[in-house]
Amino acid sequence: MNSAAPSQEMILSAQDLVKFYPGSDEPALNGLTLSIGEGEVFGLLGPNGAGKTTAISIMNTLLKSTSGNVTICGMDVAKHPGEVKRLIGYVPQDIALYPDLSARENLRFFGRIHGLKGPELKKRIDEAAAFVGLEGSLDQRLYTFSGGMKRRANLAAGLLHRPKVLFLDEPTVGIDPQSRNLILERLSSLKDRTAMVYTTHYMGEAEILCSCVAIMDSGRIIAEGAPDDLIRRTPACKNLEELFIALTGKELRD
Amino acid sequence: MMKLWSCIRKELLLLFRDLTGLLVIFLMPLALVVVVTLVQENAMRFMGETKTKVLFLDMDGDTVGLQIGEAIKKSSSLEMDGRTTGKDADMETAKRAVAKGTIQFAVIVPAGTTKAFMKRARLSVESSILTDAPKEKPRKGTAGEPSPSLLFYFDPALTETVRSNVANLLEKAIMGIEIKEKMKLFSGMLPVKMEKVAKKAMGGFWSEENKKLIPKARIEWDDAAIMTVREEVAQYGKSVKLPNAVQQNVPAWTLFGMFFIVVPLAGSLIRERQSGMLLRLLAMPVSYLTIITGKVVSYVIICMCQLVLIMAVGMFLLPLLGTPVLDIGSSPAAILIITLSAALAASGYGILLGTVARTYEQASMFGAVSVVICAALGGFMVPVHIMPKVMQSISVFSPLSWGLRAFLEVFVRGGGIGSSLPYVAPLLLFFLATTLAAWFYIYKKGWTRAN
Repeated sequence: MNSAAPSQEMILSAQDLVKFYPGSDEPALNGLTLSIGEGEVFGLLGPNGAGKTTAISIMNTLLKSTSGNVTICGMDVAKHPGEVKRLIGYVPQDIALYPDLSARENLRFFGRIHGLKGPELKKRIDEAAAFVGLEGSLDQRLYTFSGGMKRRANLAAGLLHRPKVLFLDEPTVGIDPQSRNLILERLSSLKDRTAMVYTTHYMGEAEILCSCVAIMDSGRIIAEGAPDDLIRRTPACKNLEELFIALTGKELRD
Repeated sequence: MMKLWSCIRKELLLLFRDLTGLLVIFLMPLALVVVVTLVQENAMRFMGETKTKVLFLDMDGDTVGLQIGEAIKKSSSLEMDGRTTGKDADMETAKRAVAKGTIQFAVIVPAGTTKAFMKRARLSVESSILTDAPKEKPRKGTAGEPSPSLLFYFDPALTETVRSNVANLLEKAIMGIEIKEKMKLFSGMLPVKMEKVAKKAMGGFWSEENKKLIPKARIEWDDAAIMTVREEVAQYGKSVKLPNAVQQNVPAWTLFGMFFIVVPLAGSLIRERQSGMLLRLLAMPVSYLTIITGKVVSYVIICMCQLVLIMAVGMFLLPLLGTPVLDIGSSPAAILIITLSAALAASGYGILLGTVARTYEQASMFGAVSVVICAALGGFMVPVHIMPKVMQSISVFSPLSWGLRAFLEVFVRGGGIGSSLPYVAPLLLFFLATTLAAWFYIYKKGWTRAN
C-alpha cells in the first residue's frame, strides 16, 4: 500500500517487514508495507501487541527486521543506520530526559550528540523551548516540571536537530488538555518540513493530526487511508474510534 | 570526540547533583579512612606506644610478686591500675571488672607464691647437681611439688593477638625471675658441693687453706643482654619508613571507596535503561561504546578526585588528630597508575553489574555486598597471611586484593611502578574481562543496535 500522493517526495518506505522475536513462533510484524511522503503525518494505530512499537523500532534503527527493508530519504536503515540516525528524531513514550538536569542542560546534551555546538546550538535550544512553550523554564531542573512540561520538553529534545522524519510514540500520554492541545498544534505546524510517524491510543488526536492512518492488528495493517476516507467507507462508524473498535474488536488486549 | 565529551560532562553533572551518590562516593571512604585509621592507630600503638591498664594484685608481697610488678612497670605496653595493694581490690572484684570489660587484664600473684617458687627452684637446682654422675641416682627434683601459678584474667572481647601479647610478656617475666633465682641458688650451691667433693677426695690432706682454691660464683648478674634482636623494616631501596596505620589504611580505604562507585555507576545504567533514555540515545547518532566510555571516563575522574581528597586527609587532617603524616612514597607515578587501574577495574565491574541487574535495588545490594566481601578477602579487615589456607587461596581472586597489594608496594614497601605491575596487570585484565562480558550480554540483548 502506498499512502503518499504521487506528487509527494517519498521520505520513508517500508517493504514487507517481518519480525520474529527469539523464541516466538508468531511474527510481531507480518509483512508490513507502508510509505510516507514529505509533509505527511502518518498515524500508526492499533491495540496493545499489534506491532506498532516493533514497526517504529525497526524504522528508527533500534531493531533489525527478520526480513523486508526500510529506507529513509533513500537510505537503507539496516545498511546505513549511522546516516539514518542523523535524519530522524525519536520522541519515546517515556520521559527520556535526565530529571536532575535542567531543561537547557538536557537539550544541550542531545544537541551535542547531534553535532550541534556554539551559537547554533544555543539558537536551536531557544527555538525548541519556545516552540513547546518552555522558554521561561529552561533553567529549571526537570524533576520540578509538571507532567505536561515534561512531555513538552521530551518533544523539544526530539526536534532540536530538525529531523526529516519524527517518530512520536504516544507523545501526549497522561497530560492535561492544555498541554495536549499545544503539542498537537505545534506538531501540525511542523508538517511542512517534517514527516511524522505518530502512534497513539487517542483516536481523536489521530483524526485531527494525521493525514493518513494505518490500523494495525496482529502485525499487519488491516486498514489504511486518510481518516475521513476510512470513516466514510464504513457508514456504520461515525468516527475513527468506532472504526477502530469495529476493526479490532472489543476483546481486551493486555 | 564532542559526543564523548558531552557524555562525560552529562555524567559528571548528574553525579554532582546526586547528593546520596556523592555521600557514597566521597564521604563514606573519607569517614572510613579517618575512623579506621584512628582506631587501628591505637591498636598498633598497643604493641609499643599506648599503655593499657592492668589491675595488678600482689597478694604474695615477696620476691616473685615484686619482680612481676617491676616487669609490668617496665613494660612499654602495660600500665598498672591504681589498685595494686590488694586492699582496694580482691580476686573477685578483679575478675568482675575484667568480665565487665571496664579493665582488660588483671594479674594476680597469690599469697605464698614466692615460697612455693623458691622451693621448686631449689629442688630443681639440687637435682641438677650430681656428685657421681652417671652412677648417682637422680634426685626427686620438683616432681610432686605443687607448681605456683600466676593468675591472669583477660577480657573475652579482646583479640587473640592482644591477649597473647600480654601472656607472652608475663611468661617472659616469669622466665627471667626463674633463671635469675636458679642461677643464684646454683651459684650458692656449687662451691659447697665442690668443697664436699674435694674433702672427700683429699681425705686427710684437706686443710681449710684449700677452701680458697675453690672458685666462688658472683650472685649478682650483669643485667646487660648478651644478645639482642634487631628489628628492621624490609623495604625496597633506602627508605626507612616504619609501617603505621596511616600508611596501611589510607590506601586500603581509598581503594574500598573507589570500588563503591559500582553502585552509582550500575544505577545510572539501569536508570537510563528503565527510563527509555537508552533507547532514545541508541536512536541518535552516538554509539553505545561512546555512551559507556563516557561513563567510564567520568567515574575514573571521580576516583582520581577520591584519591586526591583522601590523600589530603592522610597528609593534613589525620596528623591533626594525632596520627603520623601520610608519606606518599617516592613514586607518585606508580600511585597514579594503580589508581587508574583500580578505577578501571571498578568501572568495568559497575558496567557489568548495571548491565546484568534488572533493578537498581538488585545492583545496589549485590554491588555493595560483593565489594565488602572482596575487601574482606583482600585483607582489608584481617591480613591475608593469617587467614585459613582456603581463604588465602580464594583471596587471590579478589580485585581489591590486587589493588591493595599494589598500593602497599608503594606506600609501605617503598616500591614503584615495576614492583606494583604484577598487581596492576590483573586489575586491567579484570576491567577488560568485565567490560567484554557486559558487551557480550548487551550484544545478545540487541542493545548495541547503534552505528
